[in-house]
Amino acid sequence: MSGALLGMGGRVVNAVLLLLAVVIMNFCLIHLAPGDPAQVIAGEMGGASPEVLATIRAQYGLDQPFGTQLAHYVSRAATGDLGYSFYFNQPVSSLILERLPATVLLMAAALTFAAIVGTLLGVLAAYRPRGLGSLLVTIVSLAGHAAPVFWSGLLLLLLFASVLPLFPIAGMTDVTRPLSGIDYVLDVAHHLVLPAFTLGLVYLAQYSRQSRTSMIDVLGADYIRTARAKGLPERRVVLKHALRNALIPVVTLIGLQFAQLLAGAVLVETVFGWPGMGRLVLESILRRDHPTLLGVLVVSALLVMVANLLTDLAYRLVDPRIRGH
Amino acid sequence: MGGNRSTLPAAPAKPASPAREMLRHFLRHPAGMAGFLILLAVALASLAGPGLYGVDPADMAAAPFEPPGPEVPLGADYLGRDVLAGLLIGGRASLSVGLAAALISVLIGVAVGALAGWFGGWVDRVLMKVTEFFQVLPSLLFAMVLVTLFGASLGIITFAIGVVSWPGVARLTRAEYLRVRGLDYVRAAVAGGGRPHYLILRVVLPNALPPIIVAAALAIGVAILFEGGLSFLGLGDPNVISWGMMLGQNRTYLLDAWWAVTFPGAAIFFTVLAVSLLGEGLNDAINPRLRKRG
Repeated sequence: MSGALLGMGGRVVNAVLLLLAVVIMNFCLIHLAPGDPAQVIAGEMGGASPEVLATIRAQYGLDQPFGTQLAHYVSRAATGDLGYSFYFNQPVSSLILERLPATVLLMAAALTFAAIVGTLLGVLAAYRPRGLGSLLVTIVSLAGHAAPVFWSGLLLLLLFASVLPLFPIAGMTDVTRPLSGIDYVLDVAHHLVLPAFTLGLVYLAQYSRQSRTSMIDVLGADYIRTARAKGLPERRVVLKHALRNALIPVVTLIGLQFAQLLAGAVLVETVFGWPGMGRLVLESILRRDHPTLLGVLVVSALLVMVANLLTDLAYRLVDPRIRGH
Repeated sequence: MGGNRSTLPAAPAKPASPAREMLRHFLRHPAGMAGFLILLAVALASLAGPGLYGVDPADMAAAPFEPPGPEVPLGADYLGRDVLAGLLIGGRASLSVGLAAALISVLIGVAVGALAGWFGGWVDRVLMKVTEFFQVLPSLLFAMVLVTLFGASLGIITFAIGVVSWPGVARLTRAEYLRVRGLDYVRAAVAGGGRPHYLILRVVLPNALPPIIVAAALAIGVAILFEGGLSFLGLGDPNVISWGMMLGQNRTYLLDAWWAVTFPGAAIFFTVLAVSLLGEGLNDAINPRLRKRG
């Protein structure tokens, strides 16, 4: 365990440097965007008034040389100050923190669904390459890649709003009856089904394909033949011996795809009115609320890096060969 | 250039034209051909369709929410606009942005990957750090930020999609260059004193190209999806009708007019599906080891 943690130091430093680069890029984008930087920060809706613009100039030190401004901007970001949203009248960081749990919940649910069902489909398909399961994986992986997530979400919404009213189609909770305790949890879970399923479909496609490929590779390995020759029950060979190794590329894929999952969540939240970071992105785009939008970009990069570090740590714990490096 | 080439040892006789061989395999690949034909149909429909159909997609052609029928084959949207007319003209934006953005991302990706893979050392380290930077940013979100800050015009949308989606191609190209760089014919060309740009573009690139072509085909599909996502969120060019824009504008009226949402999304779906099938066909045709699996 400590050996696994030891190797992570370099990765953490790397992540901090990348995050710094994202903040610096944000600063450059504000200055590169057409128009006066103060106007860009204020956005179109909230702060057209001269007083607000003067406040922004003073706050960001916009009358000072470029280097000083940059240092100022970076040091504020380092303390967690991502600016102020003039549309929501709230600091960006608290705005994002409020919305973050909903998005993380949606992503976690989608990822869990996609990883479990995708792996099962993949194993099934690998075990019978000419069977129905394999065909299903091919179809799901092609369709899941090609269907725009906002379109499949809307189609599901249409289905469950008119034909099969099993699940609520908008929001995260039932606003008409405030619930608490276990009822609240169940209510949120009930609302979560459709958005998580929609978002999960895209990744289900990729995981089923990946797990089929790696399972086919592993099933052909010598140690599997040995296990079979020992007379182990087939179920044990497939699920215990083969699956463990076949899962490694799937874990890699989860780590690699995390950034895209986050972007997909933005679209899905828009479709289902899920009150997370994605909704915040849409609102800040519509209101030209640039500080919020740029803040979300920083927090997204932070989330992606945390996810990558966790994937890395998981590897080191699972695979003893990586620990030495 | 000519001088360099004459100093190289004579190339061994090639087997009968590999390009023709690939074409032959591609033509026999059912999925690849299906993709190619669907794509051709979509391209023809969006090029010639609006003229032939003759209905102005911005005009009020029927009553709002008019269901599909003899008057409007695919129904009318909340403003009474003909959905079919919108589909036909909307293909132009989706296809042109998809193609141009994929071209930008492939050009950046190949340039970065080729330089990193060929030179190695600090060039490789710096370029891969930049690639890593682009990979920690969710690319669609990054594109949204760029379009919001710099304005929603077709040019900026294309540029934004291209700029955020090259890292995959860069990594692939780098891996190919690392592989090809060690082959004997390249070492011979290096020993023959070829200049770097000649070696990178003329000697290594042709051999590294096949997987890049497949990646380029897939990049078109991703770019079409991105364009759809941006327009869906209202970040499309307001003066240009696109499939994503139709979806975004009609989504609040989903329960009144399912056709105005279903058909534009289906257009994106089948176009991207066709691109993936085409990519699959190219992949199998280019990669002889996989041909049997097809």
